[in-house]
Amino acid sequence: MSSSEKIAIAAHLHVLLRRKTGRVTDTEWMACNPDYAQEVIRLARQKSAEGGHDDLDTLADRLEWAMGMPEPQPERPLVQRMSDAVRAHGARGPGVNAAPPASAGARPGLPVGDSRAGTDGAPRYVKGLR
Amino acid sequence: MDRKRLIALIWSVCAVMVFMGWMAPAAQAQAVPGAVLAAAAPTKPAPLAHPGLVGASTLSGADTAWMLTATALVLLMTLPGIALFYGGMVRRKSVLNVMACVVAICAIVSLLWFAVGYSLAFTPGSGALGGLLGGTGRLWFSGLDYVQGAQLVAVSHIAPNIPESVYAMFQLSFAIITAALVVGAFVERMRFSATLIFMALWTLVVYVPIAHWVWEPGGWLARLGALDFAGGSVVHINAGMAGLVCAYALGPRKGYGSEAFSPFNLGLTMAGAGLLWVGWFGFNAGSAVAADGRAGLAMAVTHIAASAGALSWMAAEWLARGRPSLLGLCSGLVAGLVAITPGAGYVTPGAAVVFGGVAGVACYWGATGLKRLLNADDSLDVFGVHGVGGIVGSLLTGVFASKSISGVEGSVLVQAVGAGSVMLYSLVMTAVLLWVTSRFVSLRVSEAAEIDGLDIDQHAERMGT
Repeated sequence: MSSSEKIAIAAHLHVLLRRKTGRVTDTEWMACNPDYAQEVIRLARQKSAEGGHDDLDTLADRLEWAMGMPEPQPERPLVQRMSDAVRAHGARGPGVNAAPPASAGARPGLPVGDSRAGTDGAPRYVKGLR
Repeated sequence: MDRKRLIALIWSVCAVMVFMGWMAPAAQAQAVPGAVLAAAAPTKPAPLAHPGLVGASTLSGADTAWMLTATALVLLMTLPGIALFYGGMVRRKSVLNVMACVVAICAIVSLLWFAVGYSLAFTPGSGALGGLLGGTGRLWFSGLDYVQGAQLVAVSHIAPNIPESVYAMFQLSFAIITAALVVGAFVERMRFSATLIFMALWTLVVYVPIAHWVWEPGGWLARLGALDFAGGSVVHINAGMAGLVCAYALGPRKGYGSEAFSPFNLGLTMAGAGLLWVGWFGFNAGSAVAADGRAGLAMAVTHIAASAGALSWMAAEWLARGRPSLLGLCSGLVAGLVAITPGAGYVTPGAAVVFGGVAGVACYWGATGLKRLLNADDSLDVFGVHGVGGIVGSLLTGVFASKSISGVEGSVLVQAVGAGSVMLYSLVMTAVLLWVTSRFVSLRVSEAAEIDGLDIDQHAERMGT
């Protein structure tokens, strides 16, 4: 369930609690923090039992169900997914270029070359041009 | 190399050349069966089985003009194509050395070809060894005649439509570029004198026999039916394998695996790649040895494969590293060109897309993943690009060779036998020749020389300020 749907349920419960019990809640925190949401659910059920407010009970059940659903992964383009998979496979492979240590034996003052990493993190031109 | 050894080597080379020169008149006097033909015969002459003299009127002016052009194009691939391509990829301190190696190799191979190489590669052999090595009928280019008075011209039995001098020069340009390609594997650490000696021996002992096997009709691979239109195995697998052996034998450069070896100027590399792309039209279309439809088709598939190779390497690199690179584009187009080389006269344009596409990815792996597996400092990825590309192209030729284009069918098995034989021979003999060379000179420069750069150590020259 998306976060916007959770906020919508939390906002509805907030409005009902405020109207029927006078209690004020933090809607956004309720939608993202499971512990806070659980406490609000407990309060809503308690007030529902005390005052016979069935709608509070219903919304408490919905919020409890919503907080149990995982957040959906953001949609990534196919090319991005393929690229990440290839780089992850390469990172697991043998002989991956390690970050170059200080060049042993190089004479002082001589440049050691451009070691800026590619976007995969591997140093460029170390152990191969390509 | 100490002075005594150097003098001994020079005397040895001179003795060999004097001996060969003494043999040349005898070789010329040898009967070249059926030498003079069309001048007397009013009807179409029988096909030649050996090089010989024919009437000038039987030659094709168009074919000759094209082959002269193709020869120039292929030589441009080496000078300055390979010189720029490689020179741009090495570190600044060794650029001039790489270029000097290319120029010197061109000169040495040319003289050896004139003296011995052409005859041993492209004339029929005799006896049991005929399938392995050619004859001595064309030592010192003897018999490559142009007789103006009688209007007779020497032609090769392989290409009777053009003067033999043109054919010999065309094949020389292939021998030159093959030797020049090997340089890329051992740059920045091999002694210049060792390079000259080794490449001279390698041309005679490795390149010449393999060219005979594949391209002379009596060669054993040609008789087996192995298809290699323009040199997938003779040039690229051969050079790739030799480069790999050299990389192992010389060992890695100082700092390899820990330091970043930044290329001097990838703009030079791109300029070289451009010359290679255009020059390859002479390489592949010129191998049709005629200005005809087959040459036109070879030119088209060459261009298509280069394009496909450039884009497929670029795609592979973009996925793996997150960005495409100019070096990747240049390497990919070369990979595509290498792969299409054995099949240029046998496959359709549609198949050329497959050649280039597969080669781009395969050679990208060859220059990265495979390189790490092999753990050899093949400096400029000669095996990864030329070796792997040549193997891919040779095998795909077996799959895609079209009988309607060439009159022959391909066989993957025969192609594999051909590729494998060339790899094995090149591997063994390159190792042997490196050992022989090491008896005369030290193969590798000193550690201090390697740090200072081969330009200043081997040539006392520097790039400009």
